Amino acid sequence: MNQFTFEGREKSVLIGGMILGLVCLVLSFFIDGSPHASEIHSRFWTNFLHNAVFFTGIAFVSLFAICAAISAYAGWYAVIKRIWEAYSLFLIVGLVMMTVIVIGVWGHFHHLYHWAGEGVTTVGSETYDAVIAGKSGFLNPTFYTVATIGFLSVFYFLFAVPIRRMSISEDKAGTADYAIHRKIKVYAAAFLPIAAFSSCALIWLWMMSIEPHWYSTMYAWYTTASWFVSALALTLLTIIYLKSRGFLVDVTDEHIHDLGKLLFAFSVFWTYLWFSQFMLIWYANVGEETTYFKTRRDEYPVLFFGNLIMNFGLPFLILMRNDTKRKFGTVGFAAALVLFGHWWDFFYMIKPGVIKELSHAEGAHGALPSVAGFDYPHLLELGIFIGFLSLFFYFVFNQLTKATLRPAGDPYYAESIHHHS
Amino acid sequence: MKEAKEVLYGLYDDETVLLDAVRQANADHLDIEEVYSPFPVHGLDPLLGLSESRLHIAGFVYGALGTLTAFLFMTWVFTRDWPIIFGGKPYFSAPAFIPITFELTVLFASIGMVVSFYTVCGLGPGVTNPTLDDRITDDKFCIAFETNGYSNEEISKLQSFFSKTGASEVSSKVI
Repeated sequence: MNQFTFEGREKSVLIGGMILGLVCLVLSFFIDGSPHASEIHSRFWTNFLHNAVFFTGIAFVSLFAICAAISAYAGWYAVIKRIWEAYSLFLIVGLVMMTVIVIGVWGHFHHLYHWAGEGVTTVGSETYDAVIAGKSGFLNPTFYTVATIGFLSVFYFLFAVPIRRMSISEDKAGTADYAIHRKIKVYAAAFLPIAAFSSCALIWLWMMSIEPHWYSTMYAWYTTASWFVSALALTLLTIIYLKSRGFLVDVTDEHIHDLGKLLFAFSVFWTYLWFSQFMLIWYANVGEETTYFKTRRDEYPVLFFGNLIMNFGLPFLILMRNDTKRKFGTVGFAAALVLFGHWWDFFYMIKPGVIKELSHAEGAHGALPSVAGFDYPHLLELGIFIGFLSLFFYFVFNQLTKATLRPAGDPYYAESIHHHS
Repeated sequence: MKEAKEVLYGLYDDETVLLDAVRQANADHLDIEEVYSPFPVHGLDPLLGLSESRLHIAGFVYGALGTLTAFLFMTWVFTRDWPIIFGGKPYFSAPAFIPITFELTVLFASIGMVVSFYTVCGLGPGVTNPTLDDRITDDKFCIAFETNGYSNEEISKLQSFFSKTGASEVSSKVI
């Protein structure tokens, strides 16, 4: 079976998940204890931003992985490349979701970004902030809009769509000289530097600028590593599901093993960045920057230590052995855990920062108020996660029906079938 | 003094031919003494029925030992033996210990595994190991049978196995 069919039962389960997510999202608009909730609805907007950034990033990083594999002449991934292609097309949904945030910035519907507030960069204004004014060449609504919509459009329209189209046409019109594949290689090689630089700017704008006084040079690396681990975990879960339905017969334990190794390796890489981000600041005695970490460790210990246990401790111990990376049960468990863990990591990056900025804008200092939905993921947040996950899978399954799961025209397909890890 | 071993061995030029030969030997119920190759051949271990190496368990233990050694030693030095304030940090500065702890974990695991591997395999400085043919460290793949006490009939059966499976050379040796 090489042609995926999106069955009615799957559709209804995923639509049910989306409805649940939507209901939770709407409820979080009203059930909100954060400052000025009735005007700026921070719980709703942080949840929306959190999930939008998380899933858009997974789409982006999947495209990056395809391009990196093509540029490196890698062959093993050919049997699963349709999954990554389907993921990468989710960028269009990401573009729509991030446009909603952009509209919110202009209309002041939310206060996710203190730098977008009125009078923050006007000298003499009551809310004037010299530090933000100094960064306003980068942190301003116009650049936010241009970067978000512009970069995501470039990712999607100039790279994701053409690469997908060429990859499918390779199956039907593939020739012995692999002319199509050579063309894909040009696109892939061009995408890598563009993606590397532009994604950093997007990460700074979307997430790091929530706390505009603070900055870290490791932040973009850290976020990208988090996205990449999430994408790998989702890939493993998708493969396990598709195989349980009888598809992807060419995907063997060897491919699962390699993905498991990548999951293990990048979990450790993420931990390295998690530690180094603090280490550089702490060791260089940049005391004012350690507040980011001190706030999170002292006032959000559940988030702080849960993050480390789910994304380092458990996957490190579970995936260390050879055969746990090959068995569907253990690798699937680790993938599900790590996927949730990195969703938790994005929660940890976004939520405390928003509460901190809102309290400090009122002149409050010291301990932050504990607000439901910001201290740790409550039921509403979990429901929203399920909703976005269902949306993602609904979109991905829909894309999978549009091409054969067996890209036999790929020059590396034969190599991929005989892959040994 | 180990007993002298009579060995009949065949050399192969390619690892795929070698793998097919090993499969054939299994089908013929021949008792392979050893297979030599210049590099690890994928899929050879399960064909030979080799059990999983336990070296990685040793590696984990060495690594854990390295972690404990580094962390506890630094803790003792900087809090008990010779406390010094660096850059205004507390005596017990766990983040500063992490990089060195990591390094010692890797160092202990790698050196420990190398020493264990050499000990288990009987390798190391001052040890001489006779090779059947020097080219098996370069570009030849070798299947060896121990032939102590074999009858002529059995030996000719092995000879025909080698010619059937495409061995480029067949010889015997006493080691």
